[in-house]
Amino acid sequence: MDTIIEGIGLALTWQSLLAVVLGVVAGQILGAIPGLTASMAVALLIPYSFYFDPWVGIPMLLGMFKGSLFGSSVTAILIRTPGTPAASATVLDGYPLARAGKGAKAIKMALYASVFGDTFSDVCLIFFASILALVALKFGPAEYTLLILLALGSLGMLSSRPVWKGLVATLIGVMIGIIGLDPITASERLTFGNPELEEGIGLIPMLIGFLAVSEVFRQMGGSNRELSSKATRYSGKREDNRVSWPEFRGCIPVLFRSSAIGTAIGAMPGLGSTVAAFIAYGEARRTSRKPEEFGKGALEGVAAPEAANNAVSGANLIPLLAFGIPGDIAAALILGALMVQGVNVGPLAFSQNPLPIYAIYAALILANLINLAIGLGMLHVARFAFSVPRRLLLASVLAIAAAGSFALRGSLFDVQLVFVFGVAGYLMMRHGFPPVPLLIGFILMPLLEENLRTVLLLAPTYDEHILFIFRRPAFLALLAIMGSAIGFVLWRRRRSRPAGRTGA
Amino acid sequence: MRRIASVLGGFALVVSMLGIAAADGYPSKTITLICPYSAGGGGDTATRIVAKLAGDLMGVQINVENKTGGGATIGIGATAKAKADGYTLSFISTSPITIRPHMMDAPYHPLEDLSYVGQIVSSNQPLIVRADSEWKTLADVIAYAKANPGKLRWSTSVQRGGPHVAVEAMFGKEGVTATYVPFRGGSKVLAALLGGTIDLAMISEGNKATLDGQTRILAEGTPGRNPVNPDAPTLTEAGYPIAPAIFFGFAGPANLPGEVLAKWDEVLPKVVASPEFQKLAEQRKWSLKHAGSAEFTKIVTMDYEAAKKTIAEIGMK
Repeated sequence: MDTIIEGIGLALTWQSLLAVVLGVVAGQILGAIPGLTASMAVALLIPYSFYFDPWVGIPMLLGMFKGSLFGSSVTAILIRTPGTPAASATVLDGYPLARAGKGAKAIKMALYASVFGDTFSDVCLIFFASILALVALKFGPAEYTLLILLALGSLGMLSSRPVWKGLVATLIGVMIGIIGLDPITASERLTFGNPELEEGIGLIPMLIGFLAVSEVFRQMGGSNRELSSKATRYSGKREDNRVSWPEFRGCIPVLFRSSAIGTAIGAMPGLGSTVAAFIAYGEARRTSRKPEEFGKGALEGVAAPEAANNAVSGANLIPLLAFGIPGDIAAALILGALMVQGVNVGPLAFSQNPLPIYAIYAALILANLINLAIGLGMLHVARFAFSVPRRLLLASVLAIAAAGSFALRGSLFDVQLVFVFGVAGYLMMRHGFPPVPLLIGFILMPLLEENLRTVLLLAPTYDEHILFIFRRPAFLALLAIMGSAIGFVLWRRRRSRPAGRTGA
Repeated sequence: MRRIASVLGGFALVVSMLGIAAADGYPSKTITLICPYSAGGGGDTATRIVAKLAGDLMGVQINVENKTGGGATIGIGATAKAKADGYTLSFISTSPITIRPHMMDAPYHPLEDLSYVGQIVSSNQPLIVRADSEWKTLADVIAYAKANPGKLRWSTSVQRGGPHVAVEAMFGKEGVTATYVPFRGGSKVLAALLGGTIDLAMISEGNKATLDGQTRILAEGTPGRNPVNPDAPTLTEAGYPIAPAIFFGFAGPANLPGEVLAKWDEVLPKVVASPEFQKLAEQRKWSLKHAGSAEFTKIVTMDYEAAKKTIAEIGMK
């Protein structure tokens, strides 16, 4: 007990409080700029971390990562530009809400959902880290394949009418996703001998091009009067600018489910926050009473991906603290910072020196509270910043798109890609091809391919060949959960029909 | 206090640099250090820390620019094409220099288009199994692989990297086949090993995992013995074709002026010996090994030729 209090004390000094505030502010601003990520900022700061007290540096890191996830959703909602890939699912309902004048409501929902997701996964981390990590370690390529199939199943329903256009968009996404190295043989595919294409097309140029730049092109076609008007309009009605208690209460089941999805996916090294956000969005839509509102400005459609992507960031620390395995680049940077400071994390940390771990717990919870407080303040800044005349905003979005895509890996090729994708996205939009199936094809299909082909590669090494998957307890458990979920849906449908109710 | 001291120190350095600027021209302006790996990785951290420490020592600003892609060959290729004046240098590691050019069209020839400035780190690549594995020695692994062709599942952090080639060469010499299962990066390989998807791995993460009691080291894939388990033989000691050095270092375009190389030969040992760098290396379990320009060029040339021969023999592409 004394160690717990001492550990919490480490993270609750005024210096670390200030560090969290600075981290959250920097994170929210960086997160809002596509191409600039919290990871980059942290990497820049690492050479200076020797001169910091660890309990200033680490809380700052945590604040920065949490802040950046919320910051990226602000631009996703207001100008259809996800600052980081994790916020791409937030665009789906956030942007329609903003266009209806309910931008402030959407951002507040995103903030509450982010903090909810963060807190949920932090609590899971604190109380169940070792168990969750142990279970997550049992997830291998076979289980990932099943999970991605599940995600595709629930997201398949997102494809809009007509079906063939959604299918074509998916295939275009898959085609772009194929470019690069074959995941198993590491031979080049569709690279045409260009080394710039060898590592594949980045998610950031894809998102900026297809979502942000294409929308700029569309708006540039508007009348002069439209172009001189304010870029984002806010409804004058009070209820359009806040999240009421009944609205929040309505989202609570979605928040819990999405946070659980995010925590589970975050605990497994290999899927990541963008995938979690899309899965949570698909699940929220599948279980919603009004699925037809999704994509047109459903509040649940903002809550689900935001809760899930933030939950991933907390849960990424689960394999780190339990096994010393960083779940993503953020966790890897935190591991690096801890190691520079001489703090050991991993299976022996709890018995050797648990003090820093309790301090991390305290810093995590603290960062959540500060993220909430600063986010509410940031909302006003964002409202002000995006109230400039539309023609000015459009020009700046193009400039930021170019700069951000260059900053990511110092490649002019990526800048060209952004504009090529912008034109392609505009043409697709004009002809009614939805962008979401394209992104799903691009993000999920390569993951499906990689995992499925790893399973096929593994199969000959087992005596029972491909049937080895049925000897894996995690695979069977997952199969049982999925089977019962499908069974439940069928049962509910059957029951609701004779009663004369119209099923969803 | 420390801050003030370092600012004063920096100021003093600038002044002294100005004083000798006429006699010793390099460096007189900002140096760009290209890092061919993305921000946040081990190579990036090493580059940034060297940029800060060496910049302080030389009294100039050193900017780090991440230029990634093509398995690190794009950033190094850009350096090879830069002006050979010492103001554009690149961080380098083993694979894009001694291994990958034998299997792909790299935008440079490692022995013709680059000058080697110095090595700072050599990292261990332990061959590990789970702590509860029945394999206690390298011979146990080989015996299993012989008895069960193709059934041994293993991995390394980078497909077609140095450790991958070294282990393939070992299997090639024993005439056994095993299944290489690719993953993206060492932490995912460690997760797959601990989770039972694979049974053998050669990753630098193995040192920490072994200290944590999760894995056991059976052999070492680089020239020197592994400090965590000095009893484990290196692959060459065990009679296998290669155990390539896995290094971090710096290179510039071909024909760098002698003045530039001399300056870095003077500065890099100080960087490596600094308490900041020592601390980082100790935590990351890097062995610090400074090799000056001449020695580093020799190491690279030797490893390049050895890898060329081995890769041709085992027919890896």
